[in-house]
Amino acid sequence: MRVLVRNEVDATIIDCTGEVDLYSSPKLREALLHEMRGAKANVLLNLSGVSYIDSSGIATLVEGLQLSQRTQTRFGLYGLRNNARSVLELARLTRVFTIFEDEREALTKIASTQPFSGLV
Amino acid sequence: MIRIAVSSEPRLLHILRCVVRCFAQEVGFTAEEADSLSMAIDEAASNIIRHTYGNSHDARLALEIRTYPDRMEFALEDSGPKVRLESLEPRPLDEVRPGGLGTYFIKCFMDSVAFDENFQDGNRLQLVKYLPRKGVA
Repeated sequence: MRVLVRNEVDATIIDCTGEVDLYSSPKLREALLHEMRGAKANVLLNLSGVSYIDSSGIATLVEGLQLSQRTQTRFGLYGLRNNARSVLELARLTRVFTIFEDEREALTKIASTQPFSGLV
Repeated sequence: MIRIAVSSEPRLLHILRCVVRCFAQEVGFTAEEADSLSMAIDEAASNIIRHTYGNSHDARLALEIRTYPDRMEFALEDSGPKVRLESLEPRPLDEVRPGGLGTYFIKCFMDSVAFDENFQDGNRLQLVKYLPRKGVA
């Protein structure tokens, strides 16, 4: 799995590629939490290159969501392939994440979304 | 029958996923179903590494796969302390928090999940998935 971080005008984008499992999810977690703690206003996770994500990967996304709530960061996902979307739907998590179709939509809309406030 | 023994290293999980995915498609599951089965085995093996072995990477983990005309049977063996079936109960989905989804996915993707009570040296988790009947949607 590879994780690359790039800074666009409207958001920091984390490009994740490959399989996210127990072995690789700590690397994604490190990048995600680092960007969240870096006082970034908008953080987007590009999952278009992710061919597999397991429960440890999902846990990482939820942890990112929790931290975004504490840091008042807007956090969104985009580019979900069918398998990642199915897993999130199965876990009933599509209702809690801000999910965009692609990068263009994500960059256009992320600034107008409300930081998530649904977790205790 | 296939039997694969690996050390409890997370970086080897993808090998188990590959074997399950390929074998499942070979016996008649669709690509999507095969992905689900490989995820279930991945989650079960991850649970062993994290919880039974406490993230120790030099322990033993074995996967056994048997095929029948109507089903696939999987068994995951470890040499850790006995695990109770109740520990596989998934958490309520209404609780949005990190973790606790692995057993939920296992139960979603498999038709039955049980420990072999007669297995002496550690745990043997048995998982069964039936092939969809032909002509039934």
